[in-house]
Amino acid sequence: MSGEVSQLEELKAAIRGQLDSLDCVIGWEQGYDPLHATPLFIRSEADLERLTISPLAVHNPATYTTGFKGKKIGLVVRGCHSRSVIELLNEKLIERDEVVLFGLCCDGVVSQRKIRAALPADPGFVEAVELGKDELHITVAGEQATLKLQEVLADKCLHCAYPDPLVADVLIGEKHAPRQAASPACQDAFEALGNEEKLAFWQDTMSRCIRCYACRNVCPMCVCQDHCIATSRDHLWMSQENTPVENFMFQMIHVSHLTGRCTECGECERACPVDIPLMLLRRYMNKQVREVFGHQAGIALDKTPPLLTFQVEEARIKERDW
Amino acid sequence: MNANPYLPDMATVVEVIEETPNIKSFRLVLNDEEKMRSFSFKPGQVGQLSVFGAGESTFVINSSPTRMEYLQFSVMRVGEVTTRLHQLKAGDQVGVRAPLGKPFPVEDMQGKNILFIGGGIGMAPLRTLFTYMLDTRDDYQDITLLYGARSPVDLTYQAELPDWLAREDVKTVLCVDNEYPGWEHKVGLIPNILLEMNPSPEKTVAITCGPPIMIKFTLQALKKLNFADEQIITTLEKRMKCGVGICGRCNIGTQYVCLDGPVFTYAQLKELPSEL
Amino acid sequence: MERFITQDNLQRFAAGLAEKKNVLAPVASGGTTTFRRLRPGMQLDFSRMAVISPKDATFPRNETLLTVQHYPEESGKRMELQEHLPEGEMVVIGCRPCGTRGKLVFDPVYETQAIKDPYYIRRRDGATFITLACARPETTCFCHSVGSGPADEEGSDILLTAVEGGFVAKAVTEKGEQLLGDSLFEDAGAKAEEAAASNASARKLMGEAHDFSSAAEKLLKRFDDMDFWQTQSDKCISCGACTYMCPTCYCFNITDDEAGLVSRRLRTWDNCMSHTFTLEGSGHNPRSTKAHRLKNRMGHKFSYYPDLHGGQIACCGCGRCIKQCPAGVDIRQVVMAAQEYPDER
Repeated sequence: MSGEVSQLEELKAAIRGQLDSLDCVIGWEQGYDPLHATPLFIRSEADLERLTISPLAVHNPATYTTGFKGKKIGLVVRGCHSRSVIELLNEKLIERDEVVLFGLCCDGVVSQRKIRAALPADPGFVEAVELGKDELHITVAGEQATLKLQEVLADKCLHCAYPDPLVADVLIGEKHAPRQAASPACQDAFEALGNEEKLAFWQDTMSRCIRCYACRNVCPMCVCQDHCIATSRDHLWMSQENTPVENFMFQMIHVSHLTGRCTECGECERACPVDIPLMLLRRYMNKQVREVFGHQAGIALDKTPPLLTFQVEEARIKERDW
Repeated sequence: MNANPYLPDMATVVEVIEETPNIKSFRLVLNDEEKMRSFSFKPGQVGQLSVFGAGESTFVINSSPTRMEYLQFSVMRVGEVTTRLHQLKAGDQVGVRAPLGKPFPVEDMQGKNILFIGGGIGMAPLRTLFTYMLDTRDDYQDITLLYGARSPVDLTYQAELPDWLAREDVKTVLCVDNEYPGWEHKVGLIPNILLEMNPSPEKTVAITCGPPIMIKFTLQALKKLNFADEQIITTLEKRMKCGVGICGRCNIGTQYVCLDGPVFTYAQLKELPSEL
Repeated sequence: MERFITQDNLQRFAAGLAEKKNVLAPVASGGTTTFRRLRPGMQLDFSRMAVISPKDATFPRNETLLTVQHYPEESGKRMELQEHLPEGEMVVIGCRPCGTRGKLVFDPVYETQAIKDPYYIRRRDGATFITLACARPETTCFCHSVGSGPADEEGSDILLTAVEGGFVAKAVTEKGEQLLGDSLFEDAGAKAEEAAASNASARKLMGEAHDFSSAAEKLLKRFDDMDFWQTQSDKCISCGACTYMCPTCYCFNITDDEAGLVSRRLRTWDNCMSHTFTLEGSGHNPRSTKAHRLKNRMGHKFSYYPDLHGGQIACCGCGRCIKQCPAGVDIRQVVMAAQEYPDER
């Protein structure tokens, strides 16, 4: 992984050069065990030393941008993260001169769910992780397992058309040759189901939802969360009852509000503690917008999403108030 | 209170008083005659009013335990539940869970001078104690009431103000923020009027309630007048749900406003973490 | 009393109980493992700790507190109010000692001298806990640092320990002893020793416990240090994953639903990390930022609650909040940061 090491050093040098002029730079560091990364808010040289950019570093830093309004911050972004930034810029939710983008040409990140399924024991028992070029060597509950990176990549990475940041102030790594986007197999399989089967699937899946709103809060595009229809009291738009019907109602509202705005970073699905495959809904709705309007969120600056027409209520939409 | 602390008692609205453009007072009688007869509470305790289908909200019982023909609650229209409460008319049904919380330390105030300082809807919790003291007048020395609102129409309890002003056994001072045609009382902000009145802290208890900004400057004024922290009493607003110290939202550190409050001395508040 | 039961027979035993009572057990579905109402054909999944804690058994994610029937045409617009107290028994199988202990944090709050929450008390008294001891700690486990351990029996009726071919079942209460009378249980024999050795080894694998005893005081010392809390909450996204997964988080919301002439008063789990939790009618919010809210969450668990309830920490060390946090906020790290913060000179 010498390539990654030199890229990390290059990135650190780039951040070091601008750290003084920024409130913080958001990247990743190792989390509570060697298999998990966690967002890192870099404010000092010591913080910078902990930066990692391995395929375990999955979180979308764009989520935090609206919480720093009026301050200048840096973000380490992969291709998909840069799409979120573009969409936030296009919707005028952040200012271009308030973010410095340290772009990473990305070879994909892992899905912890796929790792969990592939390991011989629960990943909670992880002891050590070693990153090879195309493999992960994981020691778990005393057993050694080697996983092919390709087999545990997140779905969004399998057919990613934008692995390189579409907007960046600094670009680290080798640019990829243009790639064609494709729908992941799980999406095709789901869409091939009959309506009855789809309904049965959601009824069962939504019975797991606990309405923790991790999917909403982690979404870089869900900016009105403190004033979200799901929890507003004035008026009481939605029942607080936690049943499959109400949960699905919330998820339908959620996906409607993201139609044509969602940049498919996959954070909602990653954050869901009970593994609800929310991207099935996101991708389906985005596909409709692509077909009807020829629009895709976050791939070009100064493009307004076709369904972003709610000026009437706009004055009432307040952004997240961390 | 019922054995099931979440179970309200049904009550009938007997009278609705339009106090100000956004405040109404509701007089309620519990439907169960025996419960109404035996209902007992102390000034400062609160209750949860239910509009079934909309929800519950917390309000102070602002009638006096010395006058038990009805229980009175004053409600400012701010959200879903209070909007629905404002639609109620005499004869309508509501749910009541009361009394909740700790009252004013009435026994400790006996034999002392009492200074009430109320702002806007903050007069509601003072009204219960003020009326109670008028009914047990001999237990206290001088009683002074300073009551202010933004403008004359924002003063609640208009029906009672002439009586309060006319009484010789209390001194009542009213004020509004700005000059208004026909306004014959004081003009200015409550803390400034208070400083002008210059009350002596000697054997005196000050009881204040109002919007956070008014409380803040009133406390400063009282300190300037040399009131000790133990001589200042206030009553707090917090978002509440269960009203019985379980649901977890009204705490300031270890203290639950619904259970250990809402009445606190300034000395007690200073001991708590600063999270008002 | 200790008995032995084979893996297959435990599945049979659970299925048998589920015919007569509500049984809540870890079941795999959609790639994850959650507690579900055991229905015919469902297999117990003991391979990992269930994502959601078993607190649904004693504190369901929603329950109807009461219903009101409206009669708007009748004189006085009569309303009929009906209390909905829970009935029936529940058996929880395969919860871990930490999950079982969650209710011990509820007890002193939901049942006091003055206030008795009848919904909780009925559910708790009607519940039986058949707990599975943990053989090996996960990276997020710290039950031993909050006064428990991987084979803690407190709160359980039966403690199961995995041994070769099945489980040793130890009766902790009389209720548990009665259940072990079932013919599917066999003589434990030497398996009992195997179980004891396994439990001892599990405790050893956890290593040294962290001492949280200074946390109560140290967290209060940091109360007004908003820089500290802002840094600690940087990555928090203010969602409810931590609180809803937590076996000890007991805060709730009460809301009304209305349908035609019937309204229902609901109690649902609520989340102190949400902005609306403490938002007052006036628009004022005493915990207006995620930094304020994280401070209260940590303070409640490691300072206020222990202060009120004999030093007991309101955390069972199950690590769900760490493991399921979308941003990887680690409750241990936050509390330790307060503990290790240098004292002012």
